[in-house]
Amino acid sequence: MSSSYQLKNIKVHHGQQCVLDIPELSLPEEKCIALLGDNGAGKSTLLDLLAFTSRPDQGEITLKRQAALYPLHPKQRQMIGYVPQHPFLLAGSVADNIQLALRLQGIERKQHQNQIKQALELVNLDHLAQQAAHTLSGGELKRAAIARAVAYQPDILLLDEPFSHLDQIHSQQFEDIIQHLASQSGKTVIFSTHDRLQGLALADSTINLVAGKTTKSPLLNLFHGTMHDQVFDTGHLQIHTISQLATARHIAIDPSEIIISTQELQSSMQNHYMGRLILIAEEIGTIRLTIDCGERFHAIISPKSLSDLNLTIGDTVWLNFKSTAVSIF
Amino acid sequence: MGYFSDSLAAAFQLIISFDKDIYQIAITSVSISFFAALIAASLAIPAGIYMALNQFSGKQIIQHLLNTLMAMPTVVIGLLLYGLFSRLGPLGHLDLLYTPTAIIIAEAILIFPIMMNLAIVAVTSADQRLVPTLISLGAKPIALSIQVAKHSRFAILAAIITGFGRAIGEVGAAMMLGGNIEGFTRTMTTAIALQTSKGEFETGLALGLLLLVIAFIVNFMLSWLQRPHS
Repeated sequence: MSSSYQLKNIKVHHGQQCVLDIPELSLPEEKCIALLGDNGAGKSTLLDLLAFTSRPDQGEITLKRQAALYPLHPKQRQMIGYVPQHPFLLAGSVADNIQLALRLQGIERKQHQNQIKQALELVNLDHLAQQAAHTLSGGELKRAAIARAVAYQPDILLLDEPFSHLDQIHSQQFEDIIQHLASQSGKTVIFSTHDRLQGLALADSTINLVAGKTTKSPLLNLFHGTMHDQVFDTGHLQIHTISQLATARHIAIDPSEIIISTQELQSSMQNHYMGRLILIAEEIGTIRLTIDCGERFHAIISPKSLSDLNLTIGDTVWLNFKSTAVSIF
Repeated sequence: MGYFSDSLAAAFQLIISFDKDIYQIAITSVSISFFAALIAASLAIPAGIYMALNQFSGKQIIQHLLNTLMAMPTVVIGLLLYGLFSRLGPLGHLDLLYTPTAIIIAEAILIFPIMMNLAIVAVTSADQRLVPTLISLGAKPIALSIQVAKHSRFAILAAIITGFGRAIGEVGAAMMLGGNIEGFTRTMTTAIALQTSKGEFETGLALGLLLLVIAFIVNFMLSWLQRPHS
């Protein structure tokens, strides 16, 4: 599969602190990709690099199999649309802002009106085309920024925390917009979110960031703590691992690797915890259980398993997983 | 007290009667300062924007140099240019000494660091998202500078007006390089110094009042530009 971006030996420092350290990363083309991670995990820093609005202290980024130099070549720049977490609209109307983007991208003047109209229709903002940018609400401003970023029809759209500070209706609208953009032929959408479930639901693939480093784990059961003799201590639980890495500070357990039982299991699995079922949620054909065992765990089971186990909220359940199911980083 | 009040009354009389000499001096002064501000702005504003938007080696040194030049005494600039423009100096053949051009050059040099520093401040104090946004939208270096200048236009205009205000109040270099020649290089500040030394206090006072009015207009424009803009 061809890649939209390839990153090699990327390092970004803020002062003495290394905030992003990616030895190698390939982002597939024509996919919807979610960057998942907590606040401060390095999502915005990575998106800034992908948008070429900042440069790494070390390393190389290849954009669509071509080396990217700073400043970016206009043709490469035209491939990327970027909407930061707090977008900035310049003085003037919404249409003025979009027109400026078209002008800066060197799009022919006669195409401007048509492309402005198309972009605004895409985000349902055509009725606000002539409204002054500084009078827009938070949700309208984000939609206007998306319209501005897609107006020149980039192949890659980067969205930093598009759902932050949005109510449920606007969040749903944004999900629809992202799905629509990602469904278009030849388009790659990369968005960051700290809501892992939303990211997993929307994206074709995910990239998980913890403390500036990528990890393969989906980060649904992410815990921080210290490691002693292959046992990871979260402060509330001791979790058996197979790692010898004494410097490990984070672990994650794939929710589909967790086995739920109503009684303690006699098995080769080393991790067994009794807890209380506090949430049952249906998610795209699966059931997500949230269990409080001192730490909160998420487990994914099938609707049939839910029915067989006859679980209800408040039940005491056992949570079991192998030490090999624990990712350490 | 009688001397002062009589002089003040005479000064007002000179102003309201549109005394030709007084207004000739005022026009000379304003036009010299205007051209000095124009020349300085055309160099200092692009230089300030470039410096604010780019990282390069020696940037810190230039910043220190600008700060030092802002505090440079005007007579020192006058002295240096006098050495260059005097008949025996390296630029003596240009015959610039005791001409309005010499004063314009001196005042432009004087206000250049002020304008450049204020232009740097105007750009760096703009919204931190402005430059990355413009870059992500495809702005190339010149378009980026134009858009940043457009966005910071009120602060940049304030920088130009501040420079003009500094130029019109300058006396040392204007005296040394202009020679205070009546109807030619006599500015308000040099005329005030001359008339007062000659004992014609009311003429000096009338020019001082006009200078105050100009200073008031300049400051009013500055306040207007610096009010919060949406």
